[in-house]
Amino acid sequence: MKRFINYVGTENLSLIIALIIMVGLIATQTEFFFSARNILNIGQNMAVVGLIAVGMTMVIVSAGLDISVGSIAGCASVACALIVTNYGTVFGGVIVGIGFGALFGLINSVIISYLRVNPVVATLATFSAFRGIAFLIAPGGRPVGVLDPNLGFLGSGRIFQFEGFPGIPVAFLILVAVAVIAHFVMTSTVFGRAIYSMGGNPVAARLAGINLTKMRFYIYAISGALSGLAGVIVTARTSSGQPASGTQGLELEAITAVFLGGALLAGGKGTVMGTLLAVLLLATLSNGMNLLGIATFYQLVAKGLLLVLAVAIGQWRLARDEKKQAKLAESQ
Amino acid sequence: MLFNIKGVRKSFPGVRALSDVSAEINSGEVVAIVGENGAGKSTLLKILSGDYQLDEGTISLDGLEVSHASPLEAREAGFRLVRQEPEIVPHINVIENVFIGEYPAHTGGRVNFTEMQRIVQELLERYGFVGMLDLQQLGRTLSPAQMHIVEILRALKDGVKVVAFDEPTSSLTTREAKQLFTLIRTLRAEGLGIIYVSHRLHEVMEISDRVVILKDGKVTGDLLISATNANEIVRYMVGRDLDAHGLERDEVTRPDIVLEVKDLHSRWHEGISFKIHAGEIVGFAGLVGAGRTELAKVIFGEYVRTGGSISICGEEKNIRTPEDAIAANIGFAPENRKEEGLILVRSVIENTCMAIYSALSKIGILRKKAMVDSALPYIEQLEIKTPSLEAEVGKLSGGNQQKVVLARWLAAKPRLLILDEPTRAVDVGAKAEIYRLIDDLARKGMAIMMISSEMPELLSMSDRIIVMRDGKISDPIEKKDATEENIVNFALGAGT
Repeated sequence: MKRFINYVGTENLSLIIALIIMVGLIATQTEFFFSARNILNIGQNMAVVGLIAVGMTMVIVSAGLDISVGSIAGCASVACALIVTNYGTVFGGVIVGIGFGALFGLINSVIISYLRVNPVVATLATFSAFRGIAFLIAPGGRPVGVLDPNLGFLGSGRIFQFEGFPGIPVAFLILVAVAVIAHFVMTSTVFGRAIYSMGGNPVAARLAGINLTKMRFYIYAISGALSGLAGVIVTARTSSGQPASGTQGLELEAITAVFLGGALLAGGKGTVMGTLLAVLLLATLSNGMNLLGIATFYQLVAKGLLLVLAVAIGQWRLARDEKKQAKLAESQ
Repeated sequence: MLFNIKGVRKSFPGVRALSDVSAEINSGEVVAIVGENGAGKSTLLKILSGDYQLDEGTISLDGLEVSHASPLEAREAGFRLVRQEPEIVPHINVIENVFIGEYPAHTGGRVNFTEMQRIVQELLERYGFVGMLDLQQLGRTLSPAQMHIVEILRALKDGVKVVAFDEPTSSLTTREAKQLFTLIRTLRAEGLGIIYVSHRLHEVMEISDRVVILKDGKVTGDLLISATNANEIVRYMVGRDLDAHGLERDEVTRPDIVLEVKDLHSRWHEGISFKIHAGEIVGFAGLVGAGRTELAKVIFGEYVRTGGSISICGEEKNIRTPEDAIAANIGFAPENRKEEGLILVRSVIENTCMAIYSALSKIGILRKKAMVDSALPYIEQLEIKTPSLEAEVGKLSGGNQQKVVLARWLAAKPRLLILDEPTRAVDVGAKAEIYRLIDDLARKGMAIMMISSEMPELLSMSDRIIVMRDGKISDPIEKKDATEENIVNFALGAGT
């Protein structure tokens, strides 16, 4: 047990407890919830938000913010669909989708680093602009239909199917793979540790030789690329390149997940593990609310409340730590 | 007597800032207060203005006791501190800046602009400031001297009796300083008491009637300007028994030059050239604001160098960012550890290793064991008290935090280490340990540039001392020739 707690981290323990309570509550209301099919559905639904939230974790830990992720996903979705329909190459479509995302992330970092625009404002601006581009590249501004079984496999395919077991969603496996890599990068590489340093204190990080401009370049490009990948999965699942539907509001969900997962608004703290748990929590919540027939309008209100709650908990923890620190200073 | 300060004592945890300070200021008199960094000038001013509360003693203003006044009460009693950089709101005009926070209003709450303008105009005429600034000018267009006028107008409006100036000329040009002196003389003629805090002795000689000298929180002299001279004042400021609570270092001389700065120019500096040899500690003395920290940051690539060259071990390096500096084997432990040195929310080991991450990794992947191996010896050697290597630095005590910054650069083993106030806010025991370490590093051949405001530390640790003033440096003073007096003399610009 102790090893388990060590592994997930004490901060994440409250998330797990919240998840267990919620699962318990929902399960008493509806039997279908515990069916393999529903659980795998939750996994499938996690993928899109999850991919974006992983990138967002890096951004927020570096004391930045990226509001444009949903719009980037929209662009990537359309771009991928256009490539697949016009050139018939799924591989090309996927690469172009991800590439589009990375490029847009680079644009964000250039605005932030060279034009010295605050990340919130910079990505709020591109949030609007990129969405506009998504509609512009879609002929007539309408969704681009794409019927390709190989592409569809990425979105709603299942593997390890056998009798009585519907199979694990491919999209979910992609998320798991990305999360494992991201976790490793954040915990064990020079790049990852530098993200924590620059988020904790940019001046001290620069004086220790970390090039903040270069770091932002990579961080926003990765966030963009993962948003692009999320957009590709939206295309694959809906069999169409969607300029708006399916990618709107993703920024809110991803940001909520990152803060709920224990990241600090001021930067320097946060883990991929925590974010992923929070994404699972959010996906379960929304799945439960759907099963219980709660209207989407209420769900929107609930999501907003959750974001406030997540940040408020972080601030409360910070205040508590500061109090402890003050007491320690007094006792010395 | 207008203003009477009697037997004031003030301690902070572990430090006695003021012990038994007494001074008097008469109506129509300018009294200068001088002293080295840390002599207690600012503490005294803050007690007078009500920012700090005194432990013992009495202060009375015009017969009224104000010993325990809050900032507002001190103001209402007629004391006003004009700060080094007056608070001016940039986007509103002079009149509103004078009245900020207490606009006069018509009944019904509408601001009475005509009344405001009338009062300000009247003050300007009465004190002869007419023509020195335009009432409609916006705050951001004011020169530093004009900002001081606005601050003084604020005080005069409230019927001030004593005005204290804290280093008012540090941001002024010579011409503006002259204007300020005219202004001070006008106030004096009007019967106000003036306190003038500065470390520019020639100004003190020019403007004041009397000088009170502080040293280590005590008054060492209270002299009429007409009966003294700059050299005597310096003697009173310095006259301490030089206790060597530093460390006696053997003379080490090695021929190889590690750092060579040639004709360096920047926003703050003009034509600075000096050398530091391997195994040598060069102390940088000077007053706060002389440009020492800025010099360190220019060398380290944090601030822009506009001219000149920097060579490390005979090889010219084009240092434009701290990253370049680290690559050139330079380390820099900044003065403000919380703001510039540490990542408070991260662990001790991360903070120790962050400057050498790439050396501790293979293809970008950090080796945990290498991190511990390179950090642990220094954490132990510096006796950093931490519950574990993973503990957040923000949760350690101040002295231990400072040691973490040092540990980072010890682990990085640079050729040149720049230390800015290495023992600031460190207790005595830890200080001795830090001195021993610095000495040890020098013995092993590291070149050390040590900026310090502590005279005993500079005198005992440095092989040579360079004194800075207004962005220029003195010739290096050899250890055997270095005395507190010749350092202070150059730093103040007296007797050179």
